[in-house]
Amino acid sequence: MPYTELNLDLTEEHRLIKREVHDFAVEVLRPASLELDKMSPEDVTRKGSPYWQCMAQAYRNNYHTVLISDEYGGLGLDPLGVHIFWEELSYGSVGFAVSLGCSCFSSFYATLLCDDYLIEKFVLPFVNCKDASVMSCWGITEPAHGSDNLMTGTPFFRDPCACQEVRAVKKRGKWVLNGQKSAWVSNGPIASDAALFVNLDPGMGFAGGGIALVDLNQKGISRGKPLNKMGQRELPQGEIFFDDAVCPDEHMIIDPESYEAITELTLGHANATMGAYFTGVAQAAYDMAMEYSRDRVQGGKPLCQHQMVQSRLFDMFIAIETARAFSRSAMVFNMNTTPPLVQYSIASKVYCTEAAFKVTSEAVQLFGGHGLTKDAPVEKLFRDARAGMIEDGSNDSLSLAAGEMLLREVQ
Amino acid sequence: MPVFESTEKMYDVLGTLFNVLASDPVVGPKYRESNIVIKFTITDPDGFIWLDRDAKVICGPADLKPTIEMTLSGDTCHQFWLQSISMPVALAKGRIKAKGPLPKVIKLLPLLKPAYAAYPGIAKKHGLPV
Repeated sequence: MPYTELNLDLTEEHRLIKREVHDFAVEVLRPASLELDKMSPEDVTRKGSPYWQCMAQAYRNNYHTVLISDEYGGLGLDPLGVHIFWEELSYGSVGFAVSLGCSCFSSFYATLLCDDYLIEKFVLPFVNCKDASVMSCWGITEPAHGSDNLMTGTPFFRDPCACQEVRAVKKRGKWVLNGQKSAWVSNGPIASDAALFVNLDPGMGFAGGGIALVDLNQKGISRGKPLNKMGQRELPQGEIFFDDAVCPDEHMIIDPESYEAITELTLGHANATMGAYFTGVAQAAYDMAMEYSRDRVQGGKPLCQHQMVQSRLFDMFIAIETARAFSRSAMVFNMNTTPPLVQYSIASKVYCTEAAFKVTSEAVQLFGGHGLTKDAPVEKLFRDARAGMIEDGSNDSLSLAAGEMLLREVQ
Repeated sequence: MPVFESTEKMYDVLGTLFNVLASDPVVGPKYRESNIVIKFTITDPDGFIWLDRDAKVICGPADLKPTIEMTLSGDTCHQFWLQSISMPVALAKGRIKAKGPLPKVIKLLPLLKPAYAAYPGIAKKHGLPV
């Protein structure tokens, strides 16, 4: 049974998106994600796998263009529509949702810059792609730098003691790239291009960074083995190595003058999206638990007729409704406010991932021994939710950055 | 000393610029089709410039509900139209603050192109540094 919609102002377009994406997530993404969960990471990324079949179907539905303006042929959804879209997609599979979210990174930056060359080079091929062969990734995380990459606004971000490992050096009018991105780059093993976060001036620490839109199918770039991990196994993640790879000057879209501000803007939108993703994961676990509690008989009556179970379901319900209300508000506000108030996006990410972890854990508990087996999809949701507390910035580090932001606001 | 010495001067320069945009054979119809109202709240010197749904330029206060509101200083405005600061960078750094759906802001960007070409000439004619 679908959840009760508390927003009385949803438009017909919102309702349509909600219904369509929900059906796609349940009928296509969830069965595929359960199948992919049991496969090796190499088999997941192999051409023809259920991953590629689902992604091609999502591309044919234009779901990869949710953040691209209709000016360029994208879906161009409004902020609330974007939240509904991501929540419903994640209801079926958060791994596929992350993969689709990352697929538009280069194109999204290109539309922000509105440069004819970049639109031609990145946006149009991406929008027109129907087989998922044009796919981007967010090349930021590195073996020695994960969440610290995102500590914008803190003194650490400007401390020369640490900076990005992938260096870009200008030689004869082009940027030469060397270094490594870590195994946690979503879409890393398969992406055709990257929004690559590099270092241009080590003396400035992380603030000496730049962002380059890089063709990954070129000499000097290689990939590591797809990552074997606990959750979101349908999402290909893996290392990218740069060994004298080349990037044209016009592809270096951000330099140190604005790197910190653009990273913060990116974090603001990415973390708001995480809030939507994990509301969907929590809702999926709740629905499975509710259904199971009505079927499973223990102590001579269905589980749901035991008061302790009713209390547990109600706690899960409160957590989900709170997550939805807050993450929608944070996303709608920050997609209407530029520069965004990033602390709200971080709060949404931290709250919703923790709510999803709590709800999926409660769902496993409610399923009892069955919840610990590979036959119960809640077991996968629990692992997916656990990953959410670390991906896109660990909740601990993000909370420190957001705390600094709160103090900056009152100073 | 701000680039625009007075609100009147700013209205004169930017009003001319926006009228160039609004009367552009491609931009004018496309803007009207988008059915939006843009309000620029400018500081130092203080003033308001509006583009209503019919692409009519209004300098000064107006009783309209903006779809997108941009707040920026007169100097940032001058630099922006001279293309010495880009919209994403200005937005990210808070030199331009935007209220309104980001997808609509992004959709607006391609419409500004004729103004970039026209502004240096207009600024020069009004004795502003280019």
